[in-house]
Amino acid sequence: MSERKYAYYPGCPSGTTAMEQDMSMKAVFEKLGIELEEMEDWNCCGAAEVEDPEIVYALNARNLAIAEKQGLNIVTPCSICYYNLSRSNIALKGDEELRARVRSIDASLTYNGGVEVKHVLDVLVNDIGVEELSSKVEKKVEAKVAPYYGCYIGRPPETAFDDPDAPGLMDRLIELTGGEVVPYNYTKTKCCGGPLMMTRQDIAFEMARKVLEEAKNAGADCIALACPLCGMMLDAKQPDIEEAFGIEIGMPVLYITQLLGLALGIDSGKLGLNKNIVDTKDIIGKVV
Amino acid sequence: MIKTWELEPNFKYEIMKEPGGEHLTSCFQCSTCTLGCPLTEIIPGYNPRKIIQMSLLGMRKEVLSNPDLWVCLICQTCTARCPQDVRIADLLGAIRRIAEREEEAGRLKIDSVRPRFDKAFMHQLEKYGRLYDFGLAKEYYTGREGSFFKGMMAMSKDYKEFGMRLFKKGKMGPKALFPEKVKDREVMKKIFEQMGAGKK
Repeated sequence: MSERKYAYYPGCPSGTTAMEQDMSMKAVFEKLGIELEEMEDWNCCGAAEVEDPEIVYALNARNLAIAEKQGLNIVTPCSICYYNLSRSNIALKGDEELRARVRSIDASLTYNGGVEVKHVLDVLVNDIGVEELSSKVEKKVEAKVAPYYGCYIGRPPETAFDDPDAPGLMDRLIELTGGEVVPYNYTKTKCCGGPLMMTRQDIAFEMARKVLEEAKNAGADCIALACPLCGMMLDAKQPDIEEAFGIEIGMPVLYITQLLGLALGIDSGKLGLNKNIVDTKDIIGKVV
Repeated sequence: MIKTWELEPNFKYEIMKEPGGEHLTSCFQCSTCTLGCPLTEIIPGYNPRKIIQMSLLGMRKEVLSNPDLWVCLICQTCTARCPQDVRIADLLGAIRRIAEREEEAGRLKIDSVRPRFDKAFMHQLEKYGRLYDFGLAKEYYTGREGSFFKGMMAMSKDYKEFGMRLFKKGKMGPKALFPEKVKDREVMKKIFEQMGAGKK
């Protein structure tokens, strides 16, 4: 399969809360000359709410079958979509009986195991590579950045593509944009609290508060991340968290593709930097 | 306290039959799961290791009615660190599904609103194939508060400012009021009807 073209799985928040992630992802890949072919009629991966693994496998058999028809490997910018697509891929590839059972539900769930699933961070650093990305960097983003990885990049082990305790893929990207990675090791793999936002907001807010305040304490100008649920918690909910705890944070939160896009010389509007809830002007001002 | 005469020794097999619960008996009680769990910093006494031991002992009633089942974030830190590959995050999910079925059968009362939220989420997928935020919020709040009116009041209290914030950035326009649908919705329905534990 071609390394320069991917089946694009945007995920449900791509048209609403995480539209800047979708915009920046498309803009960066266009600039790199890598084609993203959106998967025709993709369905939701099951997120964190569909707890029964068998239903998750069947939902994603359909997605995997769509990419298989396209003859392409999947790339997604969402960590939860990645986790569900990837674990379903592993389960289906390794279990002929499961594949047959899923296939018997509907012909559109016929998947033969010919697809790889990748997270955008993995594609950027490991498929495209730091060398090629560095050669295309036009600007420096002289910001101090806290790289926030959250849950499904370094764990669980069978789908992880970075170190569980000290992940570094996003750090590499921040360095090549000319940014400085602030010390953030203790916090960068902690959970944002997102899965409990609707059912135990008190716990969710406390978890997100720590992630935000640790970035501030580390001297960061912004947080970089790679998951729309983390984005919603840390960016869109940040004013609510400030209000709930009576604190001021004011921490811009950028998707890693937005930050990388700035370094590649892409216009900030095209990267959706006016869509982030916490103002990103100060970060755009650090582009030289 | 353990009441030996109330133990249900087959509980561990019930869990192990549930997808995700298969590795329960590998646990040797080292507590690595609990020591690394981010929730222990917030909820004193939160202890997945203890839930596992109680499950192994057969304390079915106590485990299924334990409110701590419903606050796991599925962040997978425990799973990543477990030396015995117990897959604790998936295991707790398996126990939650048993508890939900017990509630559906009228044998258990779950205090958490999480099963209601998860079900409302799944209904959106079943109907549309994609997440429909408004549909989810409507179903969840209406069910939680007992009536559509009370539900809308509660939702507006929680989400008015948040919604305005998104609206101002063009992230919650008129388009977001309607569901995005996959073309083949019949297959979504079939997946939810035919897959899942006990439907083999």
